[in-house]
Amino acid sequence: MATSSKTNRTTRKLLWTLFWCVLAFIYLFPYTWMVLTGFRHGVDTISMPPRFIFEPTLAGFKHLFEVTGFQKYIINSAVVTIVSVVLVIGVSAPAAYALAHVSRRGGALLVAILIARIIPAIAIGVPVYLIATRLHQLDTYQALVVINVAVNIPFAIWLMRSFFMEVHPTLREAAISDGCSEWQVFTKIMLPLVLGGMLATAVFVFIGVWNEFLFALILTTSVSPTAPLAMLGFRTQYGVQWDAVGAAAFLVSTPVIVFAFIMQRYLVQGMTMGSVK
Amino acid sequence: MTISQTVPRDGIAVRRHRRIRISTVVWFTLPAAAIMALVLGVPLVYSFYYSLTGWSLVVPGSDQDFIGLLNYTDILRSSEFWASIRVTLIYAVVAVSLECALGILFAVLLNLEFFGRGLFRSLMLIPMVITPAVVGIFWKLLYEQDSGVFNYLLGTLGFEPVPWLSLTVALASVIIMDVWQSTPFFTLIILAGLQSLDRDTVSAAQADGANALQVFRYLTLPHLVPYIMIAAAFRIIGVMADFDKIFLLTLGGPGNVTTTLSVYAYNTGFKVFDIGRTTAISWIYVVFVLAISAPLIWRLFRGASVNRH
Repeated sequence: MATSSKTNRTTRKLLWTLFWCVLAFIYLFPYTWMVLTGFRHGVDTISMPPRFIFEPTLAGFKHLFEVTGFQKYIINSAVVTIVSVVLVIGVSAPAAYALAHVSRRGGALLVAILIARIIPAIAIGVPVYLIATRLHQLDTYQALVVINVAVNIPFAIWLMRSFFMEVHPTLREAAISDGCSEWQVFTKIMLPLVLGGMLATAVFVFIGVWNEFLFALILTTSVSPTAPLAMLGFRTQYGVQWDAVGAAAFLVSTPVIVFAFIMQRYLVQGMTMGSVK
Repeated sequence: MTISQTVPRDGIAVRRHRRIRISTVVWFTLPAAAIMALVLGVPLVYSFYYSLTGWSLVVPGSDQDFIGLLNYTDILRSSEFWASIRVTLIYAVVAVSLECALGILFAVLLNLEFFGRGLFRSLMLIPMVITPAVVGIFWKLLYEQDSGVFNYLLGTLGFEPVPWLSLTVALASVIIMDVWQSTPFFTLIILAGLQSLDRDTVSAAQADGANALQVFRYLTLPHLVPYIMIAAAFRIIGVMADFDKIFLLTLGGPGNVTTTLSVYAYNTGFKVFDIGRTTAISWIYVVFVLAISAPLIWRLFRGASVNRH
């Protein structure tokens, strides 16, 4: 009896595993196809029938770097993203701490943060463009960094605040009565405790800035366009070089996928701004 | 847990603490608040001012042209605007409903027992994080009518090729693309809900003779409702602001069948260069989105004020 129910269970598990292999293969097909396109000769992609089995090549990557100059886009993306992430975390962490532990209210600021988070980017696109023009900051790293920092601060404060809230308030109260200043409590006690959450927030901001498209479209032309913007270049190009597009898509999407995997434990909390744990 | 807050302190200490508190809160939040005010607040105010002018970049001197609410009344009377509202609403309602349904299904399936469950849970997240601009350009390749792989696969199954990016089908194609990318978001959150479901309650119900369907209908689903609501609320806000994917796939076309509010605002600003009008659209857009997301803002805010230790 016992063995047969155990075999039954194993069989069921095996069947569901098989089912998931098929479902995942179908569901992820667009992604797989994208990756394959990057490693396949362009003519094989648009030939009919499409080649599922082909001789892999790095021609797309070669074209991408030697003809398209894609390294410039990747470097721009890396610079803008890394600088933005550092600034966002640096500015948001103290605010998140203060709103979690020091202030009992701070209600107006919390509502302002939520509204700032929810307002669609395109709603400030035109004035941001006009102001950047007036300040002669079009097509610069600074402009992209400033706007990306501002756009991500509300999210970062809100999420980090939820991590700070997990620290029990008596810890801070004890430290304060022992004579610690608020800044010491923040740097010496709180930061080490929420380091994981802070890293997770940094990764989410990284993904957000790395994927950002609209402000790059509005604010940049030739000097500081980022990698997502290169996709638009491919689109308007006559006679698309699909192997290069596939290679570019692979290079742009891989870092964010890897980061998401690393941070999977925090994904739910991050995606819902801390409202689901 | 809340002892430290309820133990009364002597008046002097409380007053001293409060004064310190106010100034630290200000110093700790000032940099972030200042950046938000300058970089997000100022443009919004600017844009409200521009929306009352007839400023067009192609008409010199028109930025001084103060025309009151004319832009707003014009927009509310234009058929293009209402067409974009219609597209946005169809896109939002259909995409989010499908994502909800598929998300529940995938979450339940991922919650079963099978080998490599963790791996599949990870793999199914991939679409969610791919750069939207990349998704847009790539689905354009998949959707190509003559050389696209979708039509090839349909052909091998014996179906006629579908004109994916044509007048009649394009909006559906945009929705399918978004369902593909955003269903994992629902799966992720609903799966978190499933994992927090108390197993003992389920076993008790089963012991009382409830079948799988009854357990799902009367135990699992009610438990999942708040998770579904949160996911849907976040996704609705996301859908409202969606731009990159649609822009890369269709540029809002053909005609204006996939021109959502965001694409419409972009085109008015950066193709027609009508500043007065596009800022007015932006303001209508902001009010529209805030009205729709008010319940979520309220929920998040209330949650934030109560979930202390």
